[in-house]
Amino acid sequence: MAREKTNSGQNLTQLIVGSYMDAFNRWKSGAFVVWGAILIPAEIFKGFENVVYCVPETHAALCAAKGVGPELCERAEALGYSIDLCSYPRIDIGWVTGGRKISPTSGLPKPDLLVSDNNNCSLLVKWFDVHHRNMHIPHFILDVPFCYGPQKERDLEYILDQFKDLISIMEKMTGQRFDINKFYEASIHTALALSEWKRFIEFAKHRPSGLTAFDSFVHMAPLFTSRGTPELVEHYRLLADETEERVRSGVFPVPNEKYRLLWDNIAPWHQLSRMSTRLAELNANIIAAPYTLCIGGLEGSFELFELSLEKDPMWYLARTQNMSVCPYGLDLRLNAMSWAIEEFGIDGVIFASNRSCKAFSVMQMDQQRLISERFNIPTVMIEFDHADARKFNEESVYISMEALLESIEARRAAV
Amino acid sequence: MKPFEGMRRQKEAGKPVIGCFPLYPPVELFHSMGLAPVILWGLTCSVHDADRHVQSYVCSIARRLAQLVMTENDLFDGIFFYNACDTLRNLPEILREGLNASDKVAPRMFRLHVPMVPTEQTDSSDYLANEIQNLIDALEDAYGMNFSEEKFAQSVLLNRKARALCMRLEDAVSQGKASFSEFCDTLMSANFLPVDEQIELLEAKTAALEVSEASKVDDHRVIVSGILPPPPKVNKLIDEAGLRVVGNDIAAFRRSYAHTPETWTDAYDYYLHFYRDHFPCTTLLYSADRRIEEILKMTEEHKADGFLFIGEKFCEYEYFELPYLEGRLKERGISVLAIEISMEDDATAETYRTRIEAFTEMLAAGKSAAGGVTTKQGV
Repeated sequence: MAREKTNSGQNLTQLIVGSYMDAFNRWKSGAFVVWGAILIPAEIFKGFENVVYCVPETHAALCAAKGVGPELCERAEALGYSIDLCSYPRIDIGWVTGGRKISPTSGLPKPDLLVSDNNNCSLLVKWFDVHHRNMHIPHFILDVPFCYGPQKERDLEYILDQFKDLISIMEKMTGQRFDINKFYEASIHTALALSEWKRFIEFAKHRPSGLTAFDSFVHMAPLFTSRGTPELVEHYRLLADETEERVRSGVFPVPNEKYRLLWDNIAPWHQLSRMSTRLAELNANIIAAPYTLCIGGLEGSFELFELSLEKDPMWYLARTQNMSVCPYGLDLRLNAMSWAIEEFGIDGVIFASNRSCKAFSVMQMDQQRLISERFNIPTVMIEFDHADARKFNEESVYISMEALLESIEARRAAV
Repeated sequence: MKPFEGMRRQKEAGKPVIGCFPLYPPVELFHSMGLAPVILWGLTCSVHDADRHVQSYVCSIARRLAQLVMTENDLFDGIFFYNACDTLRNLPEILREGLNASDKVAPRMFRLHVPMVPTEQTDSSDYLANEIQNLIDALEDAYGMNFSEEKFAQSVLLNRKARALCMRLEDAVSQGKASFSEFCDTLMSANFLPVDEQIELLEAKTAALEVSEASKVDDHRVIVSGILPPPPKVNKLIDEAGLRVVGNDIAAFRRSYAHTPETWTDAYDYYLHFYRDHFPCTTLLYSADRRIEEILKMTEEHKADGFLFIGEKFCEYEYFELPYLEGRLKERGISVLAIEISMEDDATAETYRTRIEAFTEMLAAGKSAAGGVTTKQGV
């Protein structure tokens, strides 16, 4: 049964459409356009008067969710890009090289500067290099050391140095001066938005859960398209308030929830509605995912890391550069996932092995074994691709998921 | 000689063996401290235990490396890794778990973060110096050996000599004095030896070749590119087809041996130059712009007609650059053949015969059209 569109859902559409339209309009009026990777702190760009910030990964995810991922991937493959490359860059290269009309947003405005990083994955740098070469656009690389334990002080200082270099390059290229107050303002907006985001996510602890992980996947988009804005704060406040109200009124996405599941990987963008519906029919709900739980946290922790008034927001942004699962190792991932399993009352974990994201997936085999041993809960490994639907075998995945549910049931019966 | 014999000998002689993850570890530093570094690529083991820990869509280099460490862990007193690629950065903890699962003890792990920022963008020299110092401290603590700049300088000179010999051997192949197969076999064997034995082996090879005559056959001149050299049977096909490898852009070969800093003030300064001015590689993110130009320069200097890309299956670093590079090469009239090598491809190398032969015929047709004379080398 289709769920009615919520106020926050309507607001989300307006916010996303508005942000893309705004980007195009400002570009047409001469704004300086930056394309950045999702973890690049967009608050820095808010410190400039006339700069537009676009995120190719978010745009690629949107293309996948709207069902045009494979068509755009094929365009890139026809140009010689291997099908083994991540589907996000294949989609991105696909629309840039003549597929603009296929994109639901008609693509993105042409960039003046590319800013990539290697914390989520180094291949973002290779991806942005493709544009750098083909479009002759300068490319800034933010180098973020990987974390096997808490982020080191010297790594943080190194990141801060690079932020300063980015500001300096932006000043030279735009001819504008960086306004620290505007930057602070944007940082506070982001911090407030993250706090509201965490409040929203917390409703998954309720039984039945007040949300599905799919809701969190959909609503994470403006964090990247509208980062550092008051509209983002308002959106997440609305989302959290509305979810609270629905929980209070007894309105749940899976009312007869029997199975509370955790999804470990990037969202299956091409399957959001279908997967949530099919699972709901089985009274199963993927209530959370490290992919969205990590937002607002730190490496190895999904708990909110607040912007302290005593700390410089620049420090805060550098300190949170490793928060998004991929930039940290197995021990930290186990810490974070263990917390989630306990806090959210998880019955089973779906480890989604993603051919398009080795950075997320490559340690899942050990993680699966260790989580199963630590919590004695059923887990399953499925194969998928986050944005290329051609690499998703629906029936094979559902057979595995049904086996997971049966396994949960069998354990309950044995107790 | 079996590949690990050299490592075992060093271990028996009391030298701690450091298994270094590819691609460009600071081997001079380890050597200067009385350790025995060996870069763990060019492995040929079949993978079984590691498949319980690493997915099948990971490259053969990482899977074989995991297999080796999980089964032959007693070979190593330490493992070194740096941020060479996204898979390798995740591998140390996977190895630890794999070993723990079979009640084996994981070797000590040492790491380094090599800054991946272009120099003109960010000055990362202090950061790298700090990383090198931390590595030295960790090695001193672990093995009770002291670092000295004097010994480091001696190790640099030895490694520079070995690298220069690799270049000479490459020149000999370019002149048709040695086959590409022989060249690859020699260099892959040398990889597992201590540097003084590498020099001995390479000196013997180059001395023998100096008396050989350069080939007068005007065969087709190609550059071979990839992370690893092609499997031995594919090398044989390349030789048999009459392709003369006049240069290479192989990570385990030229990308590794083409550059050693000439002058340096201390080990920090050495590694600053070592990494910053390194022969470009797809994995050294800051070297991307230089790489294309370097390859184009190489094809021009060596008058190459063709470019043979040996793709390591699932190495996205390589595949991202290929379409652009291919376009630039073709603009200059250089034909490109891309073949993909995966796990057990030495056993099925015959499948490449037709493609390599067709490529050779295409080069021949190109020469004929240009009025050149083509003589096929005998098989």
